[in-house]
Amino acid sequence: MLFKLDSFTLIGIDAIKVSVEVHISRGLPEFIIVGLPGKAVNESRQRVRSAIINSGFDFPVKKIIVNLSPADIKKDGSYYDLPIALSILAASGQIGCGMFNESCFIGELSLDGSINPVKGLISMAEKAQSMDKKFFFVPYEIANQASFISGVSIVACKSLVETVKVLTGGEQIEKFICKDKEKNISNRNNHYNFDLKDVKGQLKAKRALEIAVSGRHNIMLIGPPGSGKTMLAQRAVSIMPDLNLEECIEVTKIYSLYEKYVNHLIQERPFRNPHHTISRVGLVGGGINPRPGEISLAHRGLLFLDEFSQFPKNFIEDLRQPLENKAVIITRNNLSYSFPCNFMLIVATNPCYCGYFGDEGRKCICSLREVRKFWKKISGPIIDRIDMRVTVARLKESSFIKTECGESSNQIKNRIKKCINMQNERFKGKNVSYNSEIGINIINEWLKNNKNIRDLIYTISRKYNLTARGMVSILKVSRTIADLEESENIKDCHIIEAVHYRVGSNNLDNSICV
Amino acid sequence: MKSSNGKKILYILVEKKVKPARFIEIYRRNYGDINKTLDYFYKYKSLKLEYKTNGEDHIDFNHSNNCYQEVVDFILKNEVGLLDIGENSYPDILRQIYLPPPLLFFRGNKIKKAQFSIAIVGSRKCTAYGREVAGYISRNLSRIGITVVSGLAVGIDSYAHKAALEGKGGSIGVLGCGIDIIYPPENKYLYEEILSNGSIITEFLPETPPLKNNFPVRNRIISGLCRGVVVIEAGEKSGAIITCEMALQQNREVFAIPGNVFNPMSRGCHKLIKSGAKLVESIDDILEEFSQYSGGILKLCGNSGYNNNRQANDKQSANLDNNELKVYEFIGYNPKSVEEIVKYSKIEVKEVLRILTSLEIKQLIKEDSFNKYSSLF
Repeated sequence: MLFKLDSFTLIGIDAIKVSVEVHISRGLPEFIIVGLPGKAVNESRQRVRSAIINSGFDFPVKKIIVNLSPADIKKDGSYYDLPIALSILAASGQIGCGMFNESCFIGELSLDGSINPVKGLISMAEKAQSMDKKFFFVPYEIANQASFISGVSIVACKSLVETVKVLTGGEQIEKFICKDKEKNISNRNNHYNFDLKDVKGQLKAKRALEIAVSGRHNIMLIGPPGSGKTMLAQRAVSIMPDLNLEECIEVTKIYSLYEKYVNHLIQERPFRNPHHTISRVGLVGGGINPRPGEISLAHRGLLFLDEFSQFPKNFIEDLRQPLENKAVIITRNNLSYSFPCNFMLIVATNPCYCGYFGDEGRKCICSLREVRKFWKKISGPIIDRIDMRVTVARLKESSFIKTECGESSNQIKNRIKKCINMQNERFKGKNVSYNSEIGINIINEWLKNNKNIRDLIYTISRKYNLTARGMVSILKVSRTIADLEESENIKDCHIIEAVHYRVGSNNLDNSICV
Repeated sequence: MKSSNGKKILYILVEKKVKPARFIEIYRRNYGDINKTLDYFYKYKSLKLEYKTNGEDHIDFNHSNNCYQEVVDFILKNEVGLLDIGENSYPDILRQIYLPPPLLFFRGNKIKKAQFSIAIVGSRKCTAYGREVAGYISRNLSRIGITVVSGLAVGIDSYAHKAALEGKGGSIGVLGCGIDIIYPPENKYLYEEILSNGSIITEFLPETPPLKNNFPVRNRIISGLCRGVVVIEAGEKSGAIITCEMALQQNREVFAIPGNVFNPMSRGCHKLIKSGAKLVESIDDILEEFSQYSGGILKLCGNSGYNNNRQANDKQSANLDNNELKVYEFIGYNPKSVEEIVKYSKIEVKEVLRILTSLEIKQLIKEDSFNKYSSLF
């Protein structure tokens, strides 16, 4: 007797269909799984057998062959326990129902027949939707993760017995369909632990963060120890606009790969802050069974690299291509995995080894050579991709004890939302969504139409000795400043302010290649 | 190669391993007749004269392993000139020092033309103030035709060079290594710029690395080429102070720029002033000392100190709007942070940032330390 049902496997963050085929025939009792099963899949034979018996069904004493098709893709993980168990029950005639055709299954079985969570559920639900399936049977604990996928009903069952009951009509299926979807995601009230109003002083840095987030410009914070760089970066995520549903799903997809117990749709902007001792694979992603790295976990959110200069140089270089392509492609064995990584980068660094170069209070004890050596490590192509560099000075005692606070994150967030809407409207239909992504062709158009800007740019680049790349960055940032002020055209004052975030400190000019 | 004498001297120094000090001794014995000197070395090459100098013959010319032919090939290929002590264009003032270099490698022709030079030396790690002063003094000197000599190091040296290149005086950089070695590497572009209106000279053979010992040796040429040495920001024990000692031995004038009492970098200059160096506020303080030497080419510029009215003049000429004026007047000479400015002026941050950059572009203020601004001197 032959039986087939549909399940999934993951390649990168995308699910592909796997049919689980079971053939039960006469012969010596045997239970074989073919179709490039990994260790975990092979072990599922023991789990399935025990689960079936402990759920009160019969495990057929016959020759059982399970094939996972397509048979040439390696499969690993405990995804197929539930589908295999159900197929065996169906193939041995213990259950029978028409619902199998419009359903797909995923889940790990425990020996007593209960269903345990697996990774990557939401990607599979998406695939189920594109396959026009009606029901997707998933582990109960994490069902909410996938519930926002429209078009397919997520059926959350706790055990094999329950699943069988639902399939054979013993229980109403509606009772098990996950209804989290009906909650409106726009009504949520995201709570971040940090608020920008906690930061005292640092008006320049706050303003710079607002601009950076608005135009999704990468930003570098330079300052002596204790000046508040980390504090500022942690709060940057609280001024980013909320994720829309599509983005939430993207983020949840990645996180569901990373850990099993994601039991809801992730709605907060991710904020990743890896320590500088991180491994290369940990940062970019990879491994034998490729997993997303920190850059992908920061997708649609913030990647904050504190003590940037402490990261190994080649790791820093690894960020180049992902920053450009907004995705990282990892090739292992014979497959390429693509993980999205559309993140905003904030890096923080001291200005030199001792940390006090350019500080007012304490004297820097580094030689100029050492300062240059320090900067040599991170200058170059990577620094070109960082549009804004802002110096953060240490707070004076007098301003520290003051209690008045500045604007709250929510106020700033509202302005940023407007600014992003403006950008979206302008770039509608183009392959760009933020000012930081615009190409030289658009910039040329601005320059062509405005002689004032050309003159000003000329003066500025002479004065500050800027490269062409530096000028492009300044123009991009000034476009964002203009958007914040809802101005149609870039004006002189926008450019002049943008210069402020590029040149940073005169003191550092000699060291950093602008 | 024009100067065949140069090649001969090179041959004597490199192949025969005659120390420069001995060469100079023989040169002086022959009353400065270069041909007789050369004859001496060619004819009596076997003659060994026990000759002791006062510790200064540690100038080991031969750090590089170059043989004579290699050096000649090198200078031909790279358009490096040789200037020997016998030539007319060899600076007279340098010839008079205790141990002049018998042979100079040079690029750029300024060394032959410079009539009157002043050295500007100072710390490699200078403050914003030192940078301003170096530029201010150097630019003004160069403007009236005085050549500024310095050591092509980073810090004060490079700012002095850069500013001097703007005027007709130009600049001469003296190296402590072979002429083919760019040290420090940061000054790569400065090298090229200097060649446009100045020259780079060294007494060391090509490929000589920048060894520690070379620099005091090099300093004697810096002071030797000049009538006076201006010190800007020097630590208590520094290369600049060594140059001053050399200058005094060579009977040159020593000038020092005063600095902030609290800044350790002023210590050296203040010590010099206490022991008799002339305090300099503007180039007139320097020029005064030379009214008798210069044969009338130097005239006092008529401003005895820094023009304090400049602030007022600048303000008018720069066309500041109301807010800009308010911020500019508030900033003053004591560094003010962005926060202070915002608080005082009650202008929005973004506007303040814009004003600061705009004032900076107009050369009215500068960033002192992180996010702190003060008026430009």
